[in-house]
Amino acid sequence: MDPSLLAQYVFNGAMLGIIYAMVAVGFTLFFGVLDVIKFSHGDVLMVGAFTGLTTYLALDAIGMKSGPLMAAGAMLCAMLAMAALGAAIARWLVLPLRNAPPINVLLITLMTGTALREAVRLFYPAGANPKPFPNLLPSAALPLGDFALRTDNLILLFVGFSAVVIVHLLVTRSKLGLAIRAVAQDAETAQIMGMNFRRVVLITFALGSALAALAGVTAGLYYSEINFGMGLLLGVIGFSAAVVGGLGNLYGAILGGFLFAALQTLGAVWFTVPAYKDVFAFAVVILLMAWRPTGLIAERSAERV
Amino acid sequence: MLRRLTWSMSLLLLFALPYASVHAKEKVKLVFIGPLTGGVSANGLGGRNATDLAIKQRNKDAKSKFEYELVVLDDECKPNIGVQVATKAATDRSIVAGITHYCSTVAMATVDVYHKFGLPVVVWGAVLPDVTYANDFKEIHRVNGTMINQNETAAKFMTGQKYKRWVIIHDTSDYGKGHNKYFSEYLTKTGGQILGTFGVTADQQDFAAELTKIKELKPEVVYFGGITPLGVRIRTQMDKLGVKAVLQGTSGIVSDAFIEGLGPLAEGTLAFREGAPIEKLPGGKAFSEQYAAQKYNDPPEAYGPFAYAAANLVMDVIERVGPDRKKIRDALNATRDYQSIVGPITFDDHRQNAVPLITKLVVQDGKWIVWEDSDFAKGKRKLVK
Amino acid sequence: MNAASQSASPWLGMLALLFVAMFAFAFLRAEQQWQVAALAAVGTIGLLLMGRSNMRRIESSWAAHQSSMQWTAIVLSAIVIFLFREDHFALLMIATVMLFSVACLGLNVQFGYAGVVNFAGAAFLGIGGYTAAMLTARPGIPHGFVILVAGLLAGLIGSLLILPLLRTRGHYAALITIAFAILFRTFLEVSDTFGGPQGLKVSGLRIFGWSFNDNIETPWGGEYSFYLNYVILSFLLLGVAVMLVRRLEYSWLGLSLDAVRIDETAASVFGFDVARWKIVAFTLGNALAGVAGAVYAMMTGFVAPANFTLAESLILVSIVILGGVGNPIGILPAAALVLILPEKLQAIQEYRYLLFSLFVILVLLFRPEGLLPRRMRVYAPRWRSP
Repeated sequence: MDPSLLAQYVFNGAMLGIIYAMVAVGFTLFFGVLDVIKFSHGDVLMVGAFTGLTTYLALDAIGMKSGPLMAAGAMLCAMLAMAALGAAIARWLVLPLRNAPPINVLLITLMTGTALREAVRLFYPAGANPKPFPNLLPSAALPLGDFALRTDNLILLFVGFSAVVIVHLLVTRSKLGLAIRAVAQDAETAQIMGMNFRRVVLITFALGSALAALAGVTAGLYYSEINFGMGLLLGVIGFSAAVVGGLGNLYGAILGGFLFAALQTLGAVWFTVPAYKDVFAFAVVILLMAWRPTGLIAERSAERV
Repeated sequence: MLRRLTWSMSLLLLFALPYASVHAKEKVKLVFIGPLTGGVSANGLGGRNATDLAIKQRNKDAKSKFEYELVVLDDECKPNIGVQVATKAATDRSIVAGITHYCSTVAMATVDVYHKFGLPVVVWGAVLPDVTYANDFKEIHRVNGTMINQNETAAKFMTGQKYKRWVIIHDTSDYGKGHNKYFSEYLTKTGGQILGTFGVTADQQDFAAELTKIKELKPEVVYFGGITPLGVRIRTQMDKLGVKAVLQGTSGIVSDAFIEGLGPLAEGTLAFREGAPIEKLPGGKAFSEQYAAQKYNDPPEAYGPFAYAAANLVMDVIERVGPDRKKIRDALNATRDYQSIVGPITFDDHRQNAVPLITKLVVQDGKWIVWEDSDFAKGKRKLVK
Repeated sequence: MNAASQSASPWLGMLALLFVAMFAFAFLRAEQQWQVAALAAVGTIGLLLMGRSNMRRIESSWAAHQSSMQWTAIVLSAIVIFLFREDHFALLMIATVMLFSVACLGLNVQFGYAGVVNFAGAAFLGIGGYTAAMLTARPGIPHGFVILVAGLLAGLIGSLLILPLLRTRGHYAALITIAFAILFRTFLEVSDTFGGPQGLKVSGLRIFGWSFNDNIETPWGGEYSFYLNYVILSFLLLGVAVMLVRRLEYSWLGLSLDAVRIDETAASVFGFDVARWKIVAFTLGNALAGVAGAVYAMMTGFVAPANFTLAESLILVSIVILGGVGNPIGILPAAALVLILPEKLQAIQEYRYLLFSLFVILVLLFRPEGLLPRRMRVYAPRWRSP
């Protein structure tokens, strides 16, 4: 195969992978801290994307002209808003159900996701239609043979990577990160040691949701489009990626994200009808779970008998 | 004890309520079904408004024998939802006829329902030939044309413009597959070369892999058989990946939503559809004026006039034979040379109206305009930079 | 005789059933929006006013006189159905509720008894539906047989997931069923042999020459809706499913499943073959869903991938949870609530998913045991402590 074409495929895969990885990291953080799968994560991503779009429209209305500045503004606004939303969901919907059977939590977050999706579809003006997302980043392309390396995609890739690296550093190097890991490992002992359980949980949810918002705006900029249903599939894929990589493990989430993207790209290339790529990717996920039931980077946890 | 007694009393009262309302029977109910939400809602809303206009005008007419009431149902352009709402309408004995469907996938799925319950319907927007030709159900009529003529004209025209190399992208619904079938057939006859065919799901988001493969094939034209949302995505990603080819679409992308979604990227996209643009229709100008006077939120779009014509046809028939499903069906079957705003309507033995005129359209300066009137035709602009 | 069973008179339970039947009749009959809204409001207020203690008395009355309650319920249902004999849409809704209840009973066996989470319930309904579509298209295969095959196939395909399911716990297990649900739908959309996104038409049920899709013409000139056939069939299926589940609950099998659900590790310590019981529960549940799916497909005459998505699976799960996990009786009213209410309240048609999700969230926050939660296992209903 033509090397520049190969480069194109690799690049496509990388873009998808970083978006999935951002979502997966969120899932893994939530799971680590509270042992919950917050299924509304994908839809929080979608709300984040819409917030970004609204911010852009507002900035445009007040006369701001610089594309990259507006992109930064949209990202920042979306991240802050979604951090608040994520914390709210944790505070009112997830924490109260801490002691309920896990299926209840799963269901409540699934329903929250549905509620968010329907709310955007119904209440955002023309929400049911896909909305074009403006091209805010410079789109100069560097042609390398057949492969056009676009600056905007490069910027997005860079921003995504930095975000994941920052979160990783935060969790492993900072005091807050220490608190998060302590709570994840053993909530009761952490509380005995004087950590504010509630606060740590809320901050973790805020962090994960902010990351989702970033992923949403990135997806919007990459596809130049957002629609109210984009969160559903991205959420499931992010969840699968996190699980395959091993829940609770940050590296696993990143690995899972890129793995899923690779599977989808491979599927699209191999199969004559490219639409089979999702079937292929999910089938592989099921097989992987059969082989390694607790994910590729296994959870090291003792289960109380 | 007392609480329970009062509770049971009130329940008994409410139990009697459904019998309390008595329906007067001078009203005649028609049903309109179209995609009112979702990616092609613009077309559905246009059709609904046009039908509503027809009903309002008829109700103002002192000579009409009945008062018409329009029941509006949303099929969301999904076959399963379409079947559900069609069942709901068809099982409702007070509804005597229907103006149905823009999405071919839904129209295909619901033909059995209408036949099962004997509800005569007139299709106003679906173009898949099978809707009328694959069955012999006397209830199904259609006023708009089918995709056969569209694709034949498209193939001849494009090869006439000296294009030789095509790649076909189509969605995997019956609509997309139908377009693929007919266009491929006609294109091979006129000597065009199809380098590759790609089937994609109707809600696919990411086309990077397919478009990269297409880039490798270096086509001159990308033919897209599908509807607006997908068209918008494909065109956007074509630009991102540097696929330099002309985008040729079908009636499925002829809508303002397509141009809104793409902005300047839409320039130079071609499409073909049956029927003349509104201004060139026999009753077009009058229709546009009356439509504007009602101040609807959405424009009639490409198929609004067909819905309007269908509604008037149905109501004229009801005026003649009365609100009886079987009589309406038989009278509709016998329609010959009915004068409507889209021209004379005659149903053939499969209850299909013939619309021979195909309009070629191109996007210029943010609007769909007729090819012959465009700068591209006059050579002032090129389709692909 | 014991004080508890003395106060639980059968008349109380029967009266409650009568009210439910009357309410259901009025609700299905109501056409104008204000009538529907008024009925819904009255129903809710009535239930709230009744209070916990009254509810408990009714429940103990039901529990104490089970066979007479069952007969009353059957007779009342037959009356209500007969009253709707000419109304197509009402019968369609009744049959849909019953068929979905059969599927949910299957899911109930999976969650409530064996603790196996299944987010792909709609996929198994779909397997049943598509089997019916493909087999009825070929002449010569008796339809009764088709329904059985549909159930078997659903159970069989479900068992493909068993290996990964057995090896995983909790969230990981949930992922497997979710992945399967998405995989199923995507596969059907893409594959041409199964009709693609357009779906397939399914011919009506025909048993021993009696076509279920023709209106019933009676000798005295009446013409009953053909949906009546399906309603009767669904009713029978529901009866069989309930009996099956009941027998299961009160058998060694049920006891084992309960033990496995409550504490897997302890159960295995006691020598229960955890894996075997889980496989049994999972397969049985899926088979029930398959059968229901086949009949549903033949009734509506159409199957498409969009009918069997993750969202539909979630609806099934919500019905089981709303009805009270583990309690088969709660499933019927929960299914009726979830399926009929949005159809009737036309004005909120657009908002139905939003309202539904908000409602489930509220239930989960404030009454997580569901509408009629299952009490602790009662070993022998008529046995009371001295």
